[in-house]
Amino acid sequence: MAPAGVVDDSRTQEMQADVAAALEQRRQRRYLVRALLRSPTFVIGVLIVLFWVFMGIFSTAFTQSPLAQHPFAILQSPSAAHWFGTDDLGRDVLARTMAGARTVLIIAPLATLLALLWGGIIGLIAGFYRGITDDIIMRLVDVLLALPVIITSILILSLFGKSLAIVIVVIGALFTPVVSRTIRSAVIGEREREYVMAARLRGERSAFVMAREILPNITQPIIVEGTVRLGYAVFTAATLSFLGFGLGPPSPDWGLTIATERVDLQSAPWTVLFPAFALASLVVGVNLITDGLSSVFSK
Amino acid sequence: MARLIGRRLLLMVPTLILVSILVFALAEVLPGNLGRSILGPYATQQQVDILNHHLGADKPLYERYAVWAGHFVTGHWGASLQLGTPVFSTVMRALGNSLLLAGFALVIIVPTSILVGVYAGLRRDSLLDRAITISTLSMTVIPEFVSGVILIVVFAVTLHWLPVSAMPPQGAPFVDRFYYLILPAIPLMLLELGYIARMARVGTVQVLAMPYIRTAVLKGLPRHRVIFGHVLRNALVPTVTVIGSQVGWLIGGLVVVEFLFVYPGIGNMMINAAQFHDVPLLEACVLVVAVLYMLSNLIADIVVALLNPRIRMGG
Repeated sequence: MAPAGVVDDSRTQEMQADVAAALEQRRQRRYLVRALLRSPTFVIGVLIVLFWVFMGIFSTAFTQSPLAQHPFAILQSPSAAHWFGTDDLGRDVLARTMAGARTVLIIAPLATLLALLWGGIIGLIAGFYRGITDDIIMRLVDVLLALPVIITSILILSLFGKSLAIVIVVIGALFTPVVSRTIRSAVIGEREREYVMAARLRGERSAFVMAREILPNITQPIIVEGTVRLGYAVFTAATLSFLGFGLGPPSPDWGLTIATERVDLQSAPWTVLFPAFALASLVVGVNLITDGLSSVFSK
Repeated sequence: MARLIGRRLLLMVPTLILVSILVFALAEVLPGNLGRSILGPYATQQQVDILNHHLGADKPLYERYAVWAGHFVTGHWGASLQLGTPVFSTVMRALGNSLLLAGFALVIIVPTSILVGVYAGLRRDSLLDRAITISTLSMTVIPEFVSGVILIVVFAVTLHWLPVSAMPPQGAPFVDRFYYLILPAIPLMLLELGYIARMARVGTVQVLAMPYIRTAVLKGLPRHRVIFGHVLRNALVPTVTVIGSQVGWLIGGLVVVEFLFVYPGIGNMMINAAQFHDVPLLEACVLVVAVLYMLSNLIADIVVALLNPRIRMGG
C-alpha cells in the first residue's frame, strides 16, 4: 500500500484498466440487448412465449372453466358461445386450449434448469480437470446417449410412476449428458486462456477458478444451450403427455388432450386442432428465441 | 473396410452390456419389489411372493442379472404378462411392421429432402431458397403427433385422399400396405426434412463454388449432367452423415407415430407394455430398439465411408 498522498503510478494504471474493462463489458452487454431487441426473430419468439405464459397463469380469470362439463352441448362446432367449439364432455375448447399451456410451461423450464445445473457441474469438472476424470465422465455420458431419450423416459416413467415432479427430473436427467458435452467443450476453449492461468498462479482453489473465473466467461454458450434444450424440453414434455406419461384427465394439457380427443378427430376435428396449433406455436416461439439469440451472439 | 465394420461391431458389445445393465437396473432392481410393482398395491403378499419366485426376483442380484441376460442372449424371452404370448415372436412380428414403416419413411425422406436441399442450394439466397429453409426448419421443431393430426384432418378427413388408419383391412394384398403407410410416413419426413435438406443445401453451395464445376460448365456440359454428375454426388456425404445422426429422433418419432395411428409396431407395443406394467415385454422392446439404434448408426457410418474414398482407404 502506498502512503496517502503519494500516487502509485502502476496501481492507478491498473485501476484505470479495470474501470475501462468494466465499462467495455457494460457497453457490450447493452449492445447485445439492443441487437436482440432489433432482431425480429427474437422479438416475435418472446412475444409468442409471453402470450402462452400469460394464458397459462391468467386465462381462467376471463375464459369459461376448462373443466366445467355441459352434457347438453357436446361436440359442438365453433360458434359465438364457444369460439373453439366444445369437446365430447361439452367442455369449452377455447378455455381448455388456453389453460393447457400450464403443464408444459411448468415442466419444460424446470427440466431445462435441472439439466443446465447438472450438466454445468459435470461439464465444468470434465473440461477443467481433463485426463482420466474427463474420460470416465464422457464414457458414462456416451452410455446414457446410447438410447433415444423418449425410450429411456418411457422405461423410467412406467416403472417409477408418473407425476409432474418425476417427469421434470427424468427430462432434466436425460438432457444432462448433452448439456455437459456442450459446456465441457466451452470450458476446454477457456481453460488455457491467460486469465485462468493467472487465477491458478494466484493460488486460487479449483472450485473458485471454475465458478468465478471460467463460468462468467461461458455464459453465452450456456444461454444458447439453455434455449435449445428448452425447445426440446417442450417437445419431449408434450410428447410424453401425448403418450400417456404425463398428467391424467381431466387436465387440459395439450398432449393429453390430443391423445384423448383423437377418437373424435373425424367428427369434431376442432377438439384436437386447436390444442395442436397452440403447441405448434409454442415450440416455434421457443425456437425463434433460440435462433435470435444464437445469431446475435455469433456476430 | 471389413476391419472398420468388425471394429465397430466389437465396440458395440461393451455399450450393449452397459445398456442391458441400465435396463436391468431400472426395470428389475430400482423399483424395489418387482412383483409388487407389477401387481399393484391391492395384491396380497402371497400373490406378490409367488410372482417374485416365478420371475426369479428372490435371488441375489448378480445371479439374477446373469440369468436375465442369458435368457435374452439365448432367445428365451419369456411370456408377456398382459398378452400371455411368447415375447420373442410377439416382439419380432411388431419389429417387422416397424421396419416396414421406417424403411418406407426413409425411402420417402431421403430423395425428397436431398431434392429440396439441392434445389434450394442451386437457387441460393433467392426468395424460394429462404422460404424452403425457414418452412422446413420450423417443421422439424413441431412434434410429430401435432403435424400428424393436422395431416389426418387435411388429407384423410377433409380431402379423403388417404385412409385414416395405417393398416389395410384383413386380406388386402401386401402392396396396399404402402398406400396406408403414406400418411404415417409424412410426419416422420417433416421431422427430418429440415435437417437433411439444410445439409444438402450447404453441400450444394460448397460444391458449386469449386473450380471443377466452373470447368464442367465452361467445357459445355449440359446443366443436368453438371448437377447429377458433380453436384449431387458431392452434396451427398454431409447429407448421409446427418441422416445417421438423426436416427435417434427417427426412432422416437416412430414410437409417437405408431401410437397416433394405432399401428402394430414395436413402438406402440412398448407404450402399451409400459402402461400395463408388462415388464418382460417392455424390457425386450427397449433392448431390441437399443440394438436397432446402434446398428443403424453403424450402417450410417459405413455408408459415409463408402461415399468418401479417404475414409474407405484408411479403413
